[in-house]
Amino acid sequence: MANSGIELETNGGSKHWDSDSQPNASIPISTVALPPASNFHCAFQKIAHSVKIVIFTAKINVLLPFGPASIILHYLTNHHGVVFLCSLLGIIPLAERLGYATEQMAAYTGPTVGGLLNATFGNATEMIIAIYALKNGMIRVVQQSLLGSILSNMLLVLGCSFFAGGIVHYDKKEQVFNKGTAVVNSGLLLMAVMGLSFPAVLHFTHSEVRYGKSEVALSRFSSCIMLVAYGSYLFFQLSGRESSQYSRIDSQEGSDSDIQRQSQSQNSAEPEDEEEEPEIGLWESVAWLALLTLWVSILSEYLVNAIQGASESFNLPVAFISVILLPIVGNAAEHASAVMFAMKDKLDITLGVAIGSSTQISMFVIPFCVVVGWMMKKNMDLNFQLFETATLFITVLVVAFMVQDGTANYLKGLMLVLCYLIVAASFFVHVDPSSSDD
Amino acid sequence: MMASTEEEKTGLQEEAITINGSPMAVRKMQTFEHIGSLAAVAQSYGPRSVKSRILRSIYIVLIKAKINVLLPFGPLAVILHYLTGKHGWVFFFSLIGITPMAERLGYATEQLACYTGSTVGGLLNATFGNATEMIISIYALKNGMIRVVQQSLLGSILSNMLLVLGCAFFAGGLTHPHKDQDFNKASAVVNSGLLLMAVMGLLFPAVLHFTHSEVHYGKSEVTLSRFSSCVMLLAYASYLFFQLKSHRSLYNPIDSEVDGEQDAKEDNEEEEEPEITQWEAIVWLAVLTIWISILSGYLVDAIQGASESVNMPIAFISVILLPIVGNAAEHASAIMFAMKDKLDITLGVAIGSSTQISMFVIPFCVVIGWMMGKQMDLNFQLFETATLFITVLVVAFMLQEGTANYFKGLMLILCYLIVAASFFVHVDPTSDDN
Repeated sequence: MANSGIELETNGGSKHWDSDSQPNASIPISTVALPPASNFHCAFQKIAHSVKIVIFTAKINVLLPFGPASIILHYLTNHHGVVFLCSLLGIIPLAERLGYATEQMAAYTGPTVGGLLNATFGNATEMIIAIYALKNGMIRVVQQSLLGSILSNMLLVLGCSFFAGGIVHYDKKEQVFNKGTAVVNSGLLLMAVMGLSFPAVLHFTHSEVRYGKSEVALSRFSSCIMLVAYGSYLFFQLSGRESSQYSRIDSQEGSDSDIQRQSQSQNSAEPEDEEEEPEIGLWESVAWLALLTLWVSILSEYLVNAIQGASESFNLPVAFISVILLPIVGNAAEHASAVMFAMKDKLDITLGVAIGSSTQISMFVIPFCVVVGWMMKKNMDLNFQLFETATLFITVLVVAFMVQDGTANYLKGLMLVLCYLIVAASFFVHVDPSSSDD
Repeated sequence: MMASTEEEKTGLQEEAITINGSPMAVRKMQTFEHIGSLAAVAQSYGPRSVKSRILRSIYIVLIKAKINVLLPFGPLAVILHYLTGKHGWVFFFSLIGITPMAERLGYATEQLACYTGSTVGGLLNATFGNATEMIISIYALKNGMIRVVQQSLLGSILSNMLLVLGCAFFAGGLTHPHKDQDFNKASAVVNSGLLLMAVMGLLFPAVLHFTHSEVHYGKSEVTLSRFSSCVMLLAYASYLFFQLKSHRSLYNPIDSEVDGEQDAKEDNEEEEEPEITQWEAIVWLAVLTIWISILSGYLVDAIQGASESVNMPIAFISVILLPIVGNAAEHASAIMFAMKDKLDITLGVAIGSSTQISMFVIPFCVVIGWMMGKQMDLNFQLFETATLFITVLVVAFMLQEGTANYFKGLMLILCYLIVAASFFVHVDPTSDDN
């Protein structure tokens, strides 16, 4: 605690961090020996300061009140649609702050653990929503929201970034990015999607041994294999490949020192600059991580419970809500940062965010949900229904093809966004061939 | 010089046919400027000059090109339609009769493009480039033959990607037997990426239908198709803007129809040596369009009868035979450019035409069908959808290398033969077209 007290005083004393300031910088002598009576005062000050940094300095937190509002509405009225929307809006700033807290913690823990942290918590929001939906037995919602997250990353996020970057750098005709990394990453994504697609293909060629039962068994087996693959992917990424062309180019991790130096050389105040300028202490970030996760979980429960009612009151198919609306929540922060980096002509980071997040979801989150469903005794499987499987496969194939030449322009971005509109429209008129969820 | 210009343009004309002629023609040949032609026009007022001008124009447009030997088949088809009931003959004759018309339409468009500058010229080419397919499709739509429209447009894309490209690679490879031919890899990749995305946008309604997962079975595909078509037309507008304004450098080596200030001799000569005046070009454009429309009417009416009398499935007629008509001129010019080792232009013609059809003609037909109250949608049936996607993917992948040889060409042609054979034994799973 005394350590944190020292950190707080240093925090409070200087408004601007130098690049070499560390938590153990020199401290004012007067704060070392604290009389017991003012410990509470210091703790209160520390908490207030922390709250100020985390909650009040980010503009996105203007959406925070929607969270409590949705809970109140849930108990006061029966208006599921409004509850759904409010909890959706309320989770967005929490997801963003969760990413921020993760980065802050990663600044302290070094690149390897930091990379692991980012890899695990990067899609925490999607995971939490998926687990709640699983608990409710809404298996199709889980499948569709995770699939929609991949689609949204590959089409919407990438498209908006290419388009914005192309418009901002109109005079340059084209933006370039590191072709090798993009090709490797999209190849991995393609293989992950292939691994996910086989149970669905098996089901749709009506060629399994025990109809309905062997898909689940096959899905569980595939998920374990995919988790092993993910483990080796992490090992491959994080072990001593920081400066090679295969290093993770996701700026929100602490593992890429190149990006840290790059982002430091810009004079921007975005969260990605704070790799070496942690704003809150280590324990504070742990505490915030726990607190935000708890808060996201609470809101997710209300969100998931309101899906069915929202679908009826807004007259939207549940598929549309799961595939298009839910992933917007999980992806909002990554979306904004990807677009921002594209406008700064740092397309490598954008691609890392988009493709890296998609790869994470397909190699980790989806198999993880299958395993969690296995433990919960729900029949979650990898059988995504033919339309979604075909859409996913076509999308990943086309995008993988398109990033191969290492260039981006506004037309490519516009085409991707328009394709996303068409996919969204398809889900608007889509209904499951059997029956609805549950 | 004039002869070589024509040779570049169509590949079907022989050399050294000069205009025997009036001082007006000679002066026009020598100046090659707008002012010169205007002066020529100004000097031609007067009944005798008008008549000789019209005759000369007819000579240049209709008689000089060798392909016009097929012209009499057109009127013959009309006569046969009224004299006999033999739909098979009417169909084939009108098919053969439209071919030179389509080629001359392309010629008139290029001539007009010389006068209007490169941007408007590019737009003209973009719109009229597939005028024949559009006219045939609109007639078929009016008759309610929706499957024919879908299949003929799809067949046009398939034919461009497999047959035209294959013949071009094959011919080019045979002409240059000792090396692989090169083309500009970057623009080929960008263009095929755009085509892939356009095809992807077209395919989602079909995929939706085949997973039997729409809300209002049968009705929502049409709505989704109409929405997608509007989105695709928006994409096409930005594609045109991209191609003609902001990223012209990407298209300079590969699209000779758009660019005017290229260092390639042939492009310069075409662009700067218009053979007929601007007004003549416009008049011919109108005349040829009307004549094609008339013949298309008879063609479309004869499809059903031809299918029965020649015992071919309508799918085969729509997918394989109809696109040959619309693509004949592009086919010939693509082969010719490949033999001259200008593969960039070949690729531009083939991929550009396919992209135009998928981003413009098909959505445009859906919108026209919407206005006519016909249920035209993007639901292409599973076999055609799968064929289209596989083809575009494989060809896009194959173009990545940046080289071409006769073997690649041969493989593409053989794949097209297999696709054609598949459509020969293909029948729609529900019922035949009406």
